Amino acid sequence: MSRSGFLFPGLLACFAVSIGATVLLPHMQLGTLTPSFKEEEGQISEVYPVASVSTATNGRDVYISQGCQACHSQVIRGTETADVDRGWGARRTVARDYIFDAPPVLGAARIGPDLTNVGSSKWRNEPEGDPVRPEKRDAAWQYLHLYHPKAVIHSSNMPAYTDLFAKHKISGSPSPDALKLPANLAPEPGYEIVPTADAKALVVYLSSLDRSHPLKEAGVVAAAAPTKK
Amino acid sequence: MTEAPLLKAQPLAPGSAVLPDQAPSRSVIDAAVRPVVVGFFLTSLAWLLVSTVLGALTALKLHMPGLLNFPFLTFGRLAPAAEGAFIYGWCSCACMGVTIWSVARLSGRASPGTAIASFGSVLWNGGVLIGVVSTLLGNLRPFNGLEFPLASFIVMFAGFALVSVWLALTYQSLAKPSISVMFIVGGVAWLAWSLLTGNLLIASHSVSGVVQQIVASWTATGVLWLWIVPVVLGAAYLIVPKVTGHPIYSGPLGRAFFWMYFLTAGLISVTRLSGGPIPLWLSSLSAAASLLLVVPILGSVYNLLATAKGSEVAAASPSLRFVLFGVSVLGVASIVFAAGALHSIDYSVHFTLFDTGVRALIVRGAVSMILFGSIYYIMPRLSGCEWLSSSLISFHFITAAYGACMGAGMLILSGLAAGSALSDSDSTFSQVLDLGSSYYWGHTLSFALLLLGYGSFALHFLLMAVRIGQPAGEPTLLPTQHGH
Repeated sequence: MSRSGFLFPGLLACFAVSIGATVLLPHMQLGTLTPSFKEEEGQISEVYPVASVSTATNGRDVYISQGCQACHSQVIRGTETADVDRGWGARRTVARDYIFDAPPVLGAARIGPDLTNVGSSKWRNEPEGDPVRPEKRDAAWQYLHLYHPKAVIHSSNMPAYTDLFAKHKISGSPSPDALKLPANLAPEPGYEIVPTADAKALVVYLSSLDRSHPLKEAGVVAAAAPTKK
Repeated sequence: MTEAPLLKAQPLAPGSAVLPDQAPSRSVIDAAVRPVVVGFFLTSLAWLLVSTVLGALTALKLHMPGLLNFPFLTFGRLAPAAEGAFIYGWCSCACMGVTIWSVARLSGRASPGTAIASFGSVLWNGGVLIGVVSTLLGNLRPFNGLEFPLASFIVMFAGFALVSVWLALTYQSLAKPSISVMFIVGGVAWLAWSLLTGNLLIASHSVSGVVQQIVASWTATGVLWLWIVPVVLGAAYLIVPKVTGHPIYSGPLGRAFFWMYFLTAGLISVTRLSGGPIPLWLSSLSAAASLLLVVPILGSVYNLLATAKGSEVAAASPSLRFVLFGVSVLGVASIVFAAGALHSIDYSVHFTLFDTGVRALIVRGAVSMILFGSIYYIMPRLSGCEWLSSSLISFHFITAAYGACMGAGMLILSGLAAGSALSDSDSTFSQVLDLGSSYYWGHTLSFALLLLGYGSFALHFLLMAVRIGQPAGEPTLLPTQHGH
């Protein structure tokens, strides 16, 4: 075989090594993961993870479409990093956490905080006891935060997503969804700001984000489960 | 559209890297590929300007998040649109122009039917346009470096397939292919395989969950490291010996580094996911490969610099100045890239702008500069005249070089500053952001330099494309210290 005859077979071999080692092997290892569950006396409980309800899936599409993943990650790394200490999650995330995500929105950078567990009441982005920490991040808080981030987090660098909201003329009684805005942001009298369907789906999605269920491979075993020493 | 019969020049002498440029049949080959090559260069420059404007807006938004707050200009859409326009628009189109010209020249013939390749160029550009517009309108995928929707990749791939058909018809298997041909052909083959395989695996849902991100990372990393970087290395291996008249410093080493490059670069693909929900062995494999990759890159860089060493034209030739600068930056960037892959550093700088900075150093400081140098070399041969103004070339060099290094440097420093705080749980997250943001203004200012430099080059190119320049024969040289 001439020397040039080695070029294409050689390249093909490099390609095979590349795809074999970094795509096919991980697929064989992770592709067959199933939810974890507890089985006691034939009863199956604590199934995790479970597929999301459709509203949350719609919200996920809004999240991706708005490009939230450019600034927010959804990955908690191990204790070599400060991710857990920051209050973003109780444990590192593992491949099983994402088996129903097609695809998982892992994110590119942390220009904003990690959102892996933002739906959990334990999630925080401020040190414990910090006065700037919101009392609770419920749906009303999320709407206000999306509409005007600085209204709830003074130092926020997030742009306002005003296009996820609509200004309506109040006819009859005010809408129960209407944002309770501070005076400087409130619309003129007789009008109200209400979240659009996209904003509602997005908040359902954000509220659904909680990957703190104990998993053995993440180094955390459910407290109730017996552990072998 | 120019349709030339199968044109043959005298075959390349085995082992010879330097060819006389006067053979008349070379001008016939140049005339045959001129429409498609100039077409690719022209569109690549349009994408370069589009991407730089989008990039400048992205940079501004880092410290002025409320600026131009329209849904289609939100940071999360702008950033991938700018990156996609840069990688698939500017870099890939310019690489294809370089590839078509080099393969025709090195094979000593141009196959008929350049119209097929021209149509391929229209399709590829159409695909990029679909990708950029869709991304800005919010139809994007959450994959780093592969955000364009599937439809845009289908159109791009169709265009690339047509270009590949023409390349395959023109490519003449040589007894001993030059290192240049090996890198360029390797890049083309890899792009064809990886774009097809990666998008098929994702679109067909053959893989699920985290593996989809692994496949996307593999595909996107391949586009940069196994298509764009090999083609520019191939261009450098072509241009440096031709301009200096020196043979390649070491052919056997060059070939050895070629194989080592393709083997190791194929394994670095998940560095962008390291520390994430992927198997630890995979992170380690990628990190080890990133370290090993320094060897073939620095080896190739040394080989190229040693080839140019002692050349009298090195300081005065515009193409050589751009190519050697880019090649040197590639060497530096490979070291920074490897350092960032070390677990101890990655744990702190991952998810900061460090990664974006290293990529900017590679694509703006190294790849773009070598592509500019290649265009400076190729265009006079296609247009039949020389570049109009050496001052404009000097201005382009200084602004593009400073702009690229300054912008990338600011992002890398920002990443290091933010990363040191991010990995320290005593710093609040707003302190992390404050530390990182100190460098945002410098980053934004670098775009002013880049816009000036890229704009001046685009203007110079347009003049060249309509054959306004110095008379052929005397190459436009840069002033040197020895008083040219």
